[in-house]
Amino acid sequence: MPSETHTTKLRRTLLWLVPLVLWAAFPLVATRHMVDLLVFAGLYSIAGLGVAFLLGQCGIVNLAQSVFYGIGAYSVAWFCANKGFPSAVGIAAGIGLSMTIAAIVGWPILRLSGYFLALATLALGIIGQVLFLEWDGVTGGTLGIGGIPFIEPFGFAFDTPARFYFLVWPIAFVLLLLHYNLLHSRNGLALRAMRDEPDAAAVLGVDIHKLKVQMFMLSAALGSLAGSLFAHYVTFVSVDSFAIDRAISFLLLAVLGGVYTVWGPVLGALFITILPQWLSRLGDIHAFVFAAALIAAVILLPEGFGGAISHWWQRRTAKRGLNGGSP
Amino acid sequence: MSAVANKDEVSSKNAAATDGTGLLRISHISHRFGGLQVLDGVEFEVAAGTLTGLIGPNGAGKSTLFNIVSGFLIAQSGSILFDGRDITRDSVRARSAAGLVRTFQTPKVFGKLSVRENLMIGYYQHLHSGPFGNMLRTPRSRGEIEGMRAQAVQAGERFGLQEVMDRPAGKVTAGMQRLVELARAWVSQPRLLLLDEPSSGLNSTEIEQMRAALQRLNREGMTILLVSHDMDLVDVASEVHVLCFGSIIASGTMAQIKQDQAVRQAYLGV
Repeated sequence: MPSETHTTKLRRTLLWLVPLVLWAAFPLVATRHMVDLLVFAGLYSIAGLGVAFLLGQCGIVNLAQSVFYGIGAYSVAWFCANKGFPSAVGIAAGIGLSMTIAAIVGWPILRLSGYFLALATLALGIIGQVLFLEWDGVTGGTLGIGGIPFIEPFGFAFDTPARFYFLVWPIAFVLLLLHYNLLHSRNGLALRAMRDEPDAAAVLGVDIHKLKVQMFMLSAALGSLAGSLFAHYVTFVSVDSFAIDRAISFLLLAVLGGVYTVWGPVLGALFITILPQWLSRLGDIHAFVFAAALIAAVILLPEGFGGAISHWWQRRTAKRGLNGGSP
Repeated sequence: MSAVANKDEVSSKNAAATDGTGLLRISHISHRFGGLQVLDGVEFEVAAGTLTGLIGPNGAGKSTLFNIVSGFLIAQSGSILFDGRDITRDSVRARSAAGLVRTFQTPKVFGKLSVRENLMIGYYQHLHSGPFGNMLRTPRSRGEIEGMRAQAVQAGERFGLQEVMDRPAGKVTAGMQRLVELARAWVSQPRLLLLDEPSSGLNSTEIEQMRAALQRLNREGMTILLVSHDMDLVDVASEVHVLCFGSIIASGTMAQIKQDQAVRQAYLGV
């Protein structure tokens, strides 16, 4: 019926429009501190997307994302602050270097699986942390590198949390869209197939090792991009930002958000950036409460927030479909 | 449609190859696990266009031989020629690209994917878009996914899976999972289809359906090598080889095999 079609269209439009308006209006009404937190949530969503995609679609636990995050940040610091190159050069160099390292390291280690692969990526994370600390001629060691310029395309500087908010979230959205496309393509199907039954996937011609290396490179590129944006935002980088606990945070947000949905990492990133801040009002006990919330989330939502919402949506759609069929 | 045209090409290729020459030639294959000699100089051929059976009692070495032919194990000695080319040391994927596709004793469906998606993946190796093109949804990438969908629909209709196309493959019955695996292999357009115990876990009605499906595929020109302990199913084979304690002890039609003294002794001890 025409009226039903019109209602459905309106509902669909509102489904997109309402969150979009809320998102756009948020920096106008929120405190600077809250906008700053959301900028970090956006950065972590990008890096966490790479980790979640690897874990959810390829079954690879990646504890090396902090290295690629660091490479992206130091590339921007070195090229833009030390050498005066434009942002694009620093960002592209970081992505290129990260993908190259991911290919070189990933080719041998991605023949491993399970705990052994997780430990191999952890080793890469630790090696990266030590190199960032010791290679002070490039990284500035414990002193770090300051004076990194803001991103300033066509004379417009992204120099406040609100402005950066309008840069980082559209980038995150485009990347989510690209990953959604990948997941629903020929290679996306192959990824999910090799995750479920690698032997059967190989029989059907899927080059499992090559595909894993390509996805590791892609994940590294996301980590590097997030690191580059981080460096441009805070204008200072030091080794503390790229320690192994950062890699664990990326893995945590991926697991919390849900690794089987593309947009799960966004929810995970919001959870780990905003909740601790809210809980800090409770005083010294806030760390304990946050830890309890983490444990509860993992136990109650084994597929993360994204998985829970996705299942709820599927049930709702199925129910409406059944109701729609009745007179 | 191009998908249909491709199927026709493969059928005609298979039909043209139905000249009795050995599509698969297994020569002097031997393999041991530690001190246990599992295969000892196994030799036989699978002629193009035939449905060949491989039977044997438990522990005869059927699964080991099957894994060696499909590339999951590399034979310690001997050789495997596929369409005249030595594939003894080729990877599983290389053999698959050459047209040698297998199913598994325990059906290996992609459980979290729908039946439709399982069938779509069957067509994977005939397509070439990369992950980065897929991310950008290039026209080639979109065309490929449409082609895969068309193949899945065709296979769903052919193998009677229309009712379960959108259900997770891990949630359908064991019999359906066998059909999904067979249909997926069919979508990949193999030149030689290796079936490992396809009747395992099926009830009598499902076994009958499987028999009919295999006969139809073979009539259409598909070469099939069937490993089974189920004599009734192997009855559809035009030639049967009997493997016992790692050696071929008899070859012939099923009627000849049933009369063979060595086979009777191996199976019945008489």
